[in-house]
This record gives sequence, structure tokens and C-alpha cells, in this order.
Amino acid sequence: MSYAYLFKYIIIGDTGVGKSCLLLQFTDKRFQPVHDLTIGVEFGARMITIDGKQIKLQIWDTAGQEAFRSITRSYYRGAAGALLVYDITRRETFNHLTTWLEDARQHSNSNMVIMLIGNKSDLDSRREVKKEEGEAFAREHGLVFMETSARTAANVEEAFINTAKEIYEKIQEGVFDINNEANGIKIGQQATPTNPALPGSGGAGGAVNSGCC
Amino acid sequence: MFNNLKNRFVSAIVPDLPLLPSSERERDREQRERDHQRGGHMRYLQMTDKIPYGRPSFLQLLTNDELRASADHNVRPIIVPREINLLPWATGYAECVNSGKSEWNEDQAAFCRQVLSDPEHKHPDLPYTYFGIYDGHAGCGAALAASHQFHHILHEKLVDCIEQLLPRDEDIENGKLPLNANSFPHPVYFQRRVSKDELIVGALESAFFHMDSLIAQDRNRFLYRDPGGCTACVTLFIDGKMYVANAGDSRAVLCQRRAGPASAVASGSGVAANQAESDAVEAAAYSYPTPYSADHTPETERERLLNVARLTPHLMGKQYVAMEYAKRPHIKNLGQRILCRQGTMKGWTYKTLTRDDLRMPVVNGEGKRSRLLGTLGVTRGFGDHDLLAINTGIEIKPFLTPHPDVRQRDLSQVVSIPDEHNEDGDYGILVMATDGLWDVSENEAVARTVFQTLSRYPTEKHRYTMVAQELVARARGKINDSGHWRLADSKAAATVDDISVIVIPVHQYYKEHIQWTHNYKNELEQRRRRAAEAEANNMAQEAVNVLNGIIAEEAHVVEEQPQDEKQAEQPVPEVKLKEKELEQEQEEALVAELNDETPQQTSLETVSESLEQVQLDVSAAQAAAAAETTTTTITIAATTNKQQQRNNRKGKGNRQ
Repeated sequence: MSYAYLFKYIIIGDTGVGKSCLLLQFTDKRFQPVHDLTIGVEFGARMITIDGKQIKLQIWDTAGQEAFRSITRSYYRGAAGALLVYDITRRETFNHLTTWLEDARQHSNSNMVIMLIGNKSDLDSRREVKKEEGEAFAREHGLVFMETSARTAANVEEAFINTAKEIYEKIQEGVFDINNEANGIKIGQQATPTNPALPGSGGAGGAVNSGCC
Repeated sequence: MFNNLKNRFVSAIVPDLPLLPSSERERDREQRERDHQRGGHMRYLQMTDKIPYGRPSFLQLLTNDELRASADHNVRPIIVPREINLLPWATGYAECVNSGKSEWNEDQAAFCRQVLSDPEHKHPDLPYTYFGIYDGHAGCGAALAASHQFHHILHEKLVDCIEQLLPRDEDIENGKLPLNANSFPHPVYFQRRVSKDELIVGALESAFFHMDSLIAQDRNRFLYRDPGGCTACVTLFIDGKMYVANAGDSRAVLCQRRAGPASAVASGSGVAANQAESDAVEAAAYSYPTPYSADHTPETERERLLNVARLTPHLMGKQYVAMEYAKRPHIKNLGQRILCRQGTMKGWTYKTLTRDDLRMPVVNGEGKRSRLLGTLGVTRGFGDHDLLAINTGIEIKPFLTPHPDVRQRDLSQVVSIPDEHNEDGDYGILVMATDGLWDVSENEAVARTVFQTLSRYPTEKHRYTMVAQELVARARGKINDSGHWRLADSKAAATVDDISVIVIPVHQYYKEHIQWTHNYKNELEQRRRRAAEAEANNMAQEAVNVLNGIIAEEAHVVEEQPQDEKQAEQPVPEVKLKEKELEQEQEEALVAELNDETPQQTSLETVSESLEQVQLDVSAAQAAAAAETTTTTITIAATTNKQQQRNNRKGKGNRQ
């Protein structure tokens, strides 16, 4: 399927916070309660529509274990967006956010959009990190924040799509050099970058077309 | 049967290698050219790839999106199998695409687990495992073809000599080979005793030739795009041995380690991170590599190439010279004496420089930069049937060969002391990789990385995958701000080529082999016992018949039964007994009747005896099946079934 833009995402965060599950929920609309440890990197893709434009998201799901950190670092390069995920039922995953953020800032291009995600919101009874804490951390570091549940699919679509919207806005503002693929953005055949026409359907809601290719 | 065996032997000595006669090649070329003239061009545009591009199936990169992402030249992600259990023995694998020299990753890898089984079920099955790694050039086609087809060809070749390979009863094998067969005038001169090793090496060699000619055939069918060429490095684990066959510049290196203090500490728990790290370094200090293949490059094969050129000068089309010069000759040196050598010469000699010497040498350059006819950097492998030399358009294929060097290792000779817990070090870790790895990593460094990484992950199931990943990561290096890939430890250039690495824990194979040996010995023992019983009963039956004064025709048939055939499943002719006899000799008759389908005569005592034994075996087999890997499970399950069937039949007999 042709697209106007391809955005590359990377999902990062401690092991066991639900990175792979978020990806699976977003691309396949299903939840897998038992998931093997991710070794290396896995890929997912889905088409969405923003502002009436077909945008393909190519998502790189990385291994969260400390042992993989040095290899994961090399994947920041060429990502336009990052989902930084922690587990609201495990405080230590929240405490590690600073390290992750430093890593991401150091190895990515400076325009990369980072979305902070507190996952497992369905397990409210076991919550260890308050929503307000997440919000505060996001505000402090200039991130977008959201709590999601890969199990119930709550906010999963929104997390990926809001990140895409922000990247799209940055393109419109001319912040991204879209001709350099190392920035994680690729122009497809559909794109008419000089004329960001918006036929009615797009609108503020950013209608979503489901289904991958 | 002996004749059949002998024929197999003869054909094994002179395997009919599918060669490409040059006249046929010539005809094909003409045909292609003619077709090309009358609208062939249109057809050329419609030509497709025989096998669509993909990554090895065990990586499960199924969608185009995944394929596209895995071939990201900017990031060069390191891809490892999602599902580690797909590969046998927790074997590790990792790969990484090139930095942009070709659109796709032209390396391929494959593995296959198969069982050689006797169609007549006279011998126990023989399982084997194959791994292959193929480095493509000038296209993905040849490597794809090899990774999808080579194991089928290899299987065919192994089945060809199945009678010699399958494990058999030692008694029958010893001294009863058909050396005294009378169909040959002088059997001693015409019949060599060919060992199993030679047959397996031969199967590998002929499979390499066959694979190459298959690629040639497909190209001649005029359907497929030029597939390019590829190197091939193949490992076969069979019958407790490891065979490595290599054609090209991929490499298989066995990484071993002498037992040191570190191996003992590594198994201890609760060591501090620093301690673990220093252990890892120490573990690596005892490591050493043993190459199981030799690279085939224009430089290493200079002698062979110069010899081909010297013997068939027309192949060079007066464009090249089959000489090697100590110094590249220049036109100003004409008439001067110059140091040179040719063909198989080891030393150097002087000659007077003539105009002919100014042509391009068949082999030029040194090391990794050496080139055949100024074009190709690798001299053995599959494909390249349409490859022409740069500038001159001379055909390169005649200089190339698919012939592999085969090296082997008998794992039963490995000495490993259980208390040292150094199985991986003693049996070794076989690292098979394309030149993407070896171009920037010394064998010693690879061996060090292997054991360093293993001691960092002492118990993890994916530890061999981690080794593969680490090796690829080191060879790929990191990209710097100006977009160049650099090694992490020195600032030297990292590889920009595709990298693929297979990491095989050889000991895991050997463990599986021991288990299999144990099972098949049990099976043989049972067969032998059953055969002995059957024979004893035959004789008893005979005696009874004589006693009764009834020498029926059927009894003659029993007599004709060859005495030396001790194998259990030899069909014993059906013996029919009348009602009268049944009354007289109830025991035998019962069994004889129930054996209408699979004739086999047992007395009641032995029935109950073997029943017990079968039950024991079944439970033992089940216990083993639970513990062992899939293939063994299948084999064992099969035998268990067979035993249960027999069990049932005997049970029926008892009830009667």
C-alpha cells in the first residue's frame, strides 16, 4: 500500500514493562499474556491516517534487558519517535526512566519525539507509581504522557497516533529534514510536501484507518 | 542382496558427478543469443526470481514490512531468531545487512534435521543435522537457491549410500562383506573397501556439484533472472561426527577452551558483577580456535587458477597472462629480465619481458583485494554461470569450481572430564560465518568473544544466540557522525558487508548422539533376541513335525530359511497347521496362527518373557522421550508404537 510518509518508531524501557505487548496490541489488536523475552529487535508496521494522509508507522520493538543496552543504543539512530515505557506496578521501572532518557537523547537525533507511557493501567490495585508522578516527570522533561493498558487496549491507539501527530506537525513546521532518512522519516509516492492540503475528512480528530498491510 | 550392496559400492567409488559438458554450454549460449534477437529482450524483462527474496525461515520475518525494516542500511539491525527453539541444540544465529552496497542482505543460512531410514526397516534409522551458510554476490538468487535446495540434494546423496551408512548388527557386518563375490574376475583389483567417512565426504562433494548444475539448469530454462553466485559453507552432523564442507571465503572455526579455573567458578552463583567480568576475561584467556575450512580466494587458489589458465589458454582469450610477476611489469621494462613464476611453481625464475607479459594477470592483487580476471574475489561456490570479466567480457565460470574442501572431526575421540564442566570448551563451539565477520575479526578474537560471552550467560537458554549477536555486533561496529562504520575498540573500519553467524554447541549434538546410540543398541539387542527365538522355534517346530511323521511342504520352506540371517524382521514363511496338530502342539499352533500377518514363532514362555521386556522398554523409552529433543522423541515414539503393536498381537494370542 502506498503512503505519504513513513515514520520510524522505537519502543524502549525496562524488561517486562510490556513493550512487545503494546506493539502487538497496536499492530494485531490482540494481547498475549505470556510473552517470551525479546532478544535483539522485532518489527511491526501499521498504516494510520493523519490529516487525510496515509502514514505508515514502522515500529522497532527492542529488548529491555540491561545486557542488550549497547545493541539497543544503535537503534535510536534513524527513529523519528520513541515510546518510553514503564510499568505502573513496578516502581523501579519508573526510577530507571532518567537513564533511558539520557540514552535516548544522546544517541538519537535531537528532534525525536518521545512519548512517556505508563503501561498496565488495568492493574490499578497493584499500582506503585501514581499517575501524577508520571505527568510530573513528563512535564519536567518535555515529553508527552499517557497511561495505557496493552491488555485492555486502553489508550494504545492514542499513544502511537498522538506521537505520529506530533511528528507530522514538526514536519509541517519544517523542523525535520525529511530528505535525510537517518531522521526516521521517509517520503512515499503519495506525498505532496509543498501542498499540505486538508480535505474535510482529516480534521482535528485525526481519523484513524485501521489494519496493517 | 549382496549383489545390490556391491553395486552400491562400485557406484560410490565413481560417483556420477553432474558435469556440464562445454559443448552443451556452448549450445545453450547460442540458443540464448538467438532467443535474445527475436524478442528475447521482452522476455528478459519478464524474467522472475526463482525463489522470492526472504530471510531464513527460522527468523520468521514474514511480512514485507519486516523484511524492509531488517534491511535498513542506516541502522543495520542485528536480527536473531524470535523463537529460539526452532534451531536444534539452542544453536545461536545472528545476522546484519550491509551498509548499502546492495539493496538486500545477500547472505543466506539454512538448517535441516533429517532421518535416514531403511525402506525395508532392517536397520535402525540414522538421524543427521545440516547447517549451511551462503554468501551471495551479484544478486540474491544463487544463495537463495542453495539455502532452499541444498539439503534436499544432500539428502538424496546420503540416501544413495544408505545401506553402508545405517547402523547394523556387528555380527553380520564383520567378515561377511561380499569380497568373495564371483561376478567379478578379480574382485581384489576392482573393489576397494570404501569407508563410511569417504561415503559421507563423497555425498557432500557430489551434492556441491549437483547444486551448482541445478542453478545452471534453472538459468537455462530462460525463466529466471541471473541469480549471481554464492559461496557455501556446510556442516553435517552425522553418526557422532562433524563434517565441514566449504567452497569460498566463508569460514567455519571450532572455538575451544582448555579447562581453567574460570570454568569452575562460572558455575558458582552469586558472584559480583566485577568478579563475573574478570572470570569472563579469564575464561577467554584459555580459548583457542581451530579452523575447519580454508578460504578460497584468488590469492589462496593462485596455483590452481594459473594451472587452469596454462592448460586451457583459450579461456583467457588472449586478454590475460597466466603468469605471476614479482613486480607488475611496465612497458618501459620491455626486454629486461623480470622475476616470475607460473602454474604450480613454488619458487621464482627470471624471464625476459615481452609484450605478452603486459596483459593483465589472471590473478592480481593481494589478500582480500585479490581478484580473478580483475573481477571476482572468490574462486569456489555455486552459480556465476553468466559472469563476465570486467572490461574484457571473458567468461569467468571455467575458472571457478563448486568443489568443496571437507574436513571432519570424530567426536567420540574428544576427551572431556565431567568434573571440569568444560564440555563446551572440550567439544568446542563451531562458529560458521560469512566473510563479513572474518574480514574484521581474527579467529583468536572470535574464540575469545565466544567464551567471554558464554561465561557472562552461564545458564540462559539463549546464550549461544547471545554469542552470535555479540560477534555480529562487534564486526558491524558503530556508525560515526560522518556516516562511517567503525569498530568499537580500535577506530579501524568495521565491515560494510552483510554478516551472518551460526554458533553451534557441538557438545549438545554429541549428547543427542549418545542418547540415540543407546536407543539403537537396545533396539538391535531386541531384534537379535527375537531373531534367535524365532530360529530356536523353527528348529523345535521342525523336530515336532518329524516326530509326528508329517513332513509338509510348508516345513521345507522353513528349512530353506538361510541360517545366517539373524535379523529380526526377516519374513518367516507362514506355517499352517491343521486342527489335529493344534490339539497335539497347542503352544506352537497358537503363535503360528496369530503370526499369519507377521510370521514369527514364539512359545508361550517367551511370549510372556518378551512381554515383560517390552513393557520395560516402553517405560524406558517414554522416560527418555520426555527428556530428549524432538527428533529423538519421534524415533522413540515410532519404536514404542511398533512394540505396542507387537505387544497387542501377542496379547491376543494369549487370550486364545
